[in-house]
Amino acid sequence: MTGLHVAALLRKELLDLSRNRGALLPVAIMALVSLLLPFGVTLAIPAVTGQHLGDDSDLLRVSAAVGAHAELTRDGRVQLFLFQQFLMLFLITPITGAMALAAHSIVGEKQARTLEPLLATPIGTIELLVAKVLGSLIPSLAIAMAGLALYFTGLACFAEPGVVRAMVTPRTALLVFLVSPAAALLSLQSAIVVSSRVNDARTAQQFGVLIIIPLTAVLVAQFAGMIWLSARAFAMVGLGMLALWVLLTVVSAALFERDTILTNWR
Amino acid sequence: MITANRLTRRFGDRVVVDDVSFEVGRSEIVALLGPNGAGKTTILRMLGGLITPTSGSVVVDGVQLTRATGAMLRSRIGFLPEVPGLWDRLTVRENLAVYADLYKLQAADRILDWLLDLLELTAHQAARAAELSKGMRQKVAIARSLLHDPHVLLLDEPTSGLDPGIARAVRRLLYDRRSQGCTILVSTHNLDEAERLADRVAVVQGRLIAIDTPAGLRRRLTPGRIVVRVAGLASACLSAVRPFDGSAVVDGQLLTLRLPDPERDTPALVRAVVEAGAEILEVRPEAAALEDVYLHLLADERVSEAEER
Repeated sequence: MTGLHVAALLRKELLDLSRNRGALLPVAIMALVSLLLPFGVTLAIPAVTGQHLGDDSDLLRVSAAVGAHAELTRDGRVQLFLFQQFLMLFLITPITGAMALAAHSIVGEKQARTLEPLLATPIGTIELLVAKVLGSLIPSLAIAMAGLALYFTGLACFAEPGVVRAMVTPRTALLVFLVSPAAALLSLQSAIVVSSRVNDARTAQQFGVLIIIPLTAVLVAQFAGMIWLSARAFAMVGLGMLALWVLLTVVSAALFERDTILTNWR
Repeated sequence: MITANRLTRRFGDRVVVDDVSFEVGRSEIVALLGPNGAGKTTILRMLGGLITPTSGSVVVDGVQLTRATGAMLRSRIGFLPEVPGLWDRLTVRENLAVYADLYKLQAADRILDWLLDLLELTAHQAARAAELSKGMRQKVAIARSLLHDPHVLLLDEPTSGLDPGIARAVRRLLYDRRSQGCTILVSTHNLDEAERLADRVAVVQGRLIAIDTPAGLRRRLTPGRIVVRVAGLASACLSAVRPFDGSAVVDGQLLTLRLPDPERDTPALVRAVVEAGAEILEVRPEAAALEDVYLHLLADERVSEAEER
């Protein structure tokens, strides 16, 4: 595999996307929802109703999962718990948003009949697939990261004192910089694999979003206080997903049949 | 140089290309001629390393095309697919620049400038591909296939749908590439195109039916037939040529007859006509139209296929 081939095709993907900004709208909307929902639930609703989160015994009980944090008020501890939970939404953002891009990537090339001249060049199958995944991942991740930056800025401005500092932990870092990109990679690669085997972007999309199911289960279980994934657990999950992604990339290269793609598509 | 060795390709039970062998040398243009569905595109794709043959092999510049050599050999081949396949949201120059990077071209900008100028695309280089006419798109696709100065050009219907002016410019470009040593294989179902462009024509219908120069193919339908044009009426010398061919035909100034061995018998025929008092204006082998030869070859092929079944 040569980086030059990947870089060449990646440049094309990004250039193409820059002329089709509407394709990024789902990612932007998802990032906006991930941004507004936590502040609405944690800060706006209590402010409107006049009820303090710290007065809810159930919330206090489940929020013990984030640790004692004696420096925080009772409201601050609950806010910390909720904002940690909502952080998981940013994990789903690049997955859901980029799915449309990834699912469309191979199917779109098939439909536009642009795949044949591309396959006639020296580019290898893995190089092609990696460039396609990165072409979807990079813009989606960039939007998700921009959303995260706003999230932390909002925390610093509106949350209880000390909450933002308590949020900055190895666990958060692993979630943001390892688990989130790894989950997105895995999901996008699944979409690309399916995309190269089917003639319909929607089919590829439906397969790709399957990864959201376990992530949503983790989110709900954490909200319910049933589990609390530690930094170590996130590290293992993240590395496991990266390993799976590498495996899936190899499998997808094997499944990517130039013959079938070129001859079965009219 | 590119060689097809007993290439066969099946799709399920259907044999699309059956045991096709031929060679295209340096500085040669060969036209693959055949009706729709004759397997021309499949042959080109196999030669270009895009799809694998069910059996048989492809050799490019002495190297057999395999999974291991595929990428290296594809960098020596310029491939023009049936459909231009441009990225619509990218400009003409951007489309070409991506391929220049994929071929890892040094001085890509200079090469792009040269090609855009050569194909008269400079004024359109900033236009998005979606805005181009069919002919323009085809020219960009041709430029893309030439970017890396390939040793071998495989072109699927290069002038299909082009107006005559652009088609002529493309033909000139291909002659130019040929003179520089390029090996060129062009698929077409246009007889006129094949005759104008190619040094040799390969007629395919699943199988390779014939491969020869256009003149050689034409002579196949009229072996040994000679046309003599004389001043005045040819009927005056009919009796002089009867000894050569009892069924010689006269039509105005033209005398048409079949010689058993044209190389040996033509001088004697000329002498006989002159001695009969006729003034000879022209003596030439009778050549059938390539269209007649083509249709005759395809009809023969259908008969032999039916007999095999």
